[in-house]
Amino acid sequence: METELVEKAALGDRQAFAALIEGRYDFIHAVAWRWCGDRQDAEDVAQEVCIRLASAIRGFKGASRFGTWLYAVTLNAARDQMRKRRRAEWRDAAYLREKAVLEDHSADDGGEELWQAVRRLPDKQRDAVLLIYGEGLTHAAAADVLGCAETTISWHVHEARKRLKVLLRDAAA
Amino acid sequence: MTDLDLDKLSRRQPPSADASARAAALAAAMQAFDEAEKNTQAAQGFTGGGRPSSIFNRIWSPIMNRRFLAGSALATLLVVPVAGLFTYELVRNGTVPLKSETGIAAGPADADQRARKPVAEKAKAEAQLAAKTDASAKAAADTAESAGTPAAEPAPLAESQDEEAIAAMPQSLAVGGAANGQALSRMAVPPSVIAMPAPVEDRERFASADPNPVKSVASDPVSTFSADVDTASYSYVRRSLLGGSLPDPEAVRVEEMVNYFPYDWKGPETAEKPFNATVTVMPTPWNKGTELLHIGIKGFDTAPAEQPSANLVFLIDVSGSMDEPDKLPLLKSAFRLLVGKLKDTDTVSVVTYAGDAGVVLEPTAVKERQTILDAIDTLRPGGSTAGAEGIETAYRLAEKAFRKDGVNRVMLATDGDFNVGPASDEDLKRIIEAHRRSGIFLSVLGFGRGNYNDGMMQTLAQNGNGTAAYIDTLAEAQKALVEEAGSSLFPIAKDVKFQIEFNPARIAEYRLIGYETRVLNREDFNNDKVDAGDIGSGHRVTAIYEVTPKGSPAVLNDPLRYGKGESAATPATDGGELAFLKMRWKKPDGDTSELATMPVTDADAVADVDAASADVRFSVAVAAFGQKLKGVTALQDYAYGSILGLAEAARGNDPFGYRAEFLKLVRLASGLSGEKAQ
Repeated sequence: METELVEKAALGDRQAFAALIEGRYDFIHAVAWRWCGDRQDAEDVAQEVCIRLASAIRGFKGASRFGTWLYAVTLNAARDQMRKRRRAEWRDAAYLREKAVLEDHSADDGGEELWQAVRRLPDKQRDAVLLIYGEGLTHAAAADVLGCAETTISWHVHEARKRLKVLLRDAAA
Repeated sequence: MTDLDLDKLSRRQPPSADASARAAALAAAMQAFDEAEKNTQAAQGFTGGGRPSSIFNRIWSPIMNRRFLAGSALATLLVVPVAGLFTYELVRNGTVPLKSETGIAAGPADADQRARKPVAEKAKAEAQLAAKTDASAKAAADTAESAGTPAAEPAPLAESQDEEAIAAMPQSLAVGGAANGQALSRMAVPPSVIAMPAPVEDRERFASADPNPVKSVASDPVSTFSADVDTASYSYVRRSLLGGSLPDPEAVRVEEMVNYFPYDWKGPETAEKPFNATVTVMPTPWNKGTELLHIGIKGFDTAPAEQPSANLVFLIDVSGSMDEPDKLPLLKSAFRLLVGKLKDTDTVSVVTYAGDAGVVLEPTAVKERQTILDAIDTLRPGGSTAGAEGIETAYRLAEKAFRKDGVNRVMLATDGDFNVGPASDEDLKRIIEAHRRSGIFLSVLGFGRGNYNDGMMQTLAQNGNGTAAYIDTLAEAQKALVEEAGSSLFPIAKDVKFQIEFNPARIAEYRLIGYETRVLNREDFNNDKVDAGDIGSGHRVTAIYEVTPKGSPAVLNDPLRYGKGESAATPATDGGELAFLKMRWKKPDGDTSELATMPVTDADAVADVDAASADVRFSVAVAAFGQKLKGVTALQDYAYGSILGLAEAARGNDPFGYRAEFLKLVRLASGLSGEKAQ
């Protein structure tokens, strides 16, 4: 049924496209939020993804892989957003935001700390970890999204684990 | 914590999406979708199979893919900084002339220059949206975006100066670089940005003309000009000076600087004769041999109770470039101030334009203030600018809520270009003129800098019977939209023209200070079809002539050998008349003009500068400052210090601190110009 919508939208069906993004917005937003860890950023990314989809959907083939593709598009947008964010170097703002987030979830079981650490990983390791543990994808599916071999994913995850341990130990010290 | 429980990550539930953000995103997506639709119908780009590539590329790319060519790639990397340095040296030594293009027309070379500005970064982000922008005919004019479009030619470098530098490199180095033109052109960008010592070129464009020349009364006894109550130039100058640089002389319009300040000219008693002129003749502070003929005109001040109801349409530019603290956020605050000033029965509509024109708020009575404020709050920047379409939508709403006896006005807020759509100045002028005739006027509020298209703003406001103001601070918004709301919103006279005839028996030469863009032909004065400026409730207009009395040593033109006896038609040689002032105007709803005249006589003259009123002296100081910034030769020897002294002594009553601010600007300019301060 989604496959059908995607096929129609690819042919330029306005209604189908509307229904498609309507249905997928929450998913996009959630993924964007996991990656960015900030409400405002997540909203911006989600909007950006919707706009990109509008032109990218045309002539999109392989409707069955729409979910995978959507992951890839969202991840790209999230990466762009974070790059932009970093460039802006609004450290104070970032600090305040981080603090606000921390306070929001003070009752959390240390998950926040872990999230912060994950976001500090190199791009590929972070993407792999978030796809597998955050989104619950299999290694094979994550490899599909990121466009690399399954073993590469496993390796990224392995490296990420090592690194996270160091990061978290540092944070605890 | 040694045991990593990464599964914790999945337990974290993201917050649910905000409904308004969601709606905004979906709307933006649909808009983008529709645009993509248009583009597909336009059969964009290359329809054949495969990537468009030259035979050169096809031969080279497999070779370049081999790993053993890594050495060449390294050489390429080497070339780039060297080329940058080389260019820098060439430029610094003046071997390669660097043209600074400030012209109004943006040539292709111009566009190429801009492409290499840091803006390119932003352009790249926009390029991802480029699929939805129309990358066809207007691409050349549409600078930043088109430069970032991946569809660009592989060799944009070809026309640039870097190419000359590279071409001049030793052959062995150049080969590696030439191998992959596209890669090089991309990589060459950052070093050239660093290496180029030329000042970053602004995309700002100004409508300006050379300062009015000195005219001989014998050959041109009559000077005619249209009223101008715009103030944009002053704010712009202020912004430049506060930013640490002297303003571009093109950006300085002396009359707008003079008219920025509220002067206490004596106003008319009744609305029947909408304005009154106060004339002073005084010695020129910067030239012993000349005098200043100073004309201060004040419009009738409509009491707030009589203010007609207003139908305002805010036409707001929300293009991506508005995403700066001094643009959209400032604009929102400014409009909030204005809404606070309106009566409950007035109506407000909001239209945005960015890529696609959209109605944010249908005409709404000001009674529902909260609705209006909420609508203004929802504005978000994004997309490119389709000015013409926005203007049409705005006019449609203005017609919908048309008030027959009220004020119908579109208030356009933008940072500059109208770069998508049928946006030639002429086309827009036609649209605006057509609506002006049906009673809907247009005012323009300019924001931000770097992209500001002053010429366009002027054209629009002048053709729409409106004012153009430049808003750089909230205080300025307060001045333009609240304190002077009456003047900009409620016109008391339109097509106001001035004509002054000098008595050749007394005055040898004259020079109109400022009003370069407002000069009219002598015959236009009596022609009611010729459009001219408006004067609003309580508006003040000040015009200053520098006149050279007959027989003064400062006369520049030699007397005409055969000119004697031509001036037989002047009866007033004995009445002490220096000149004769005529004003023409139309009632806001009228089609025929009315005329008022007054002679300028010796009775208006004062013996020295200090005898003139403080307001006159202050306005003269502002005129002097403006002319100095503009580089008028007559003022070259008049120091900033003297201007400061003149203005300081004439500060008078300055309740809003405008004059104190002016003094600050003079001091800044004095410091920046390197001239020794007082």
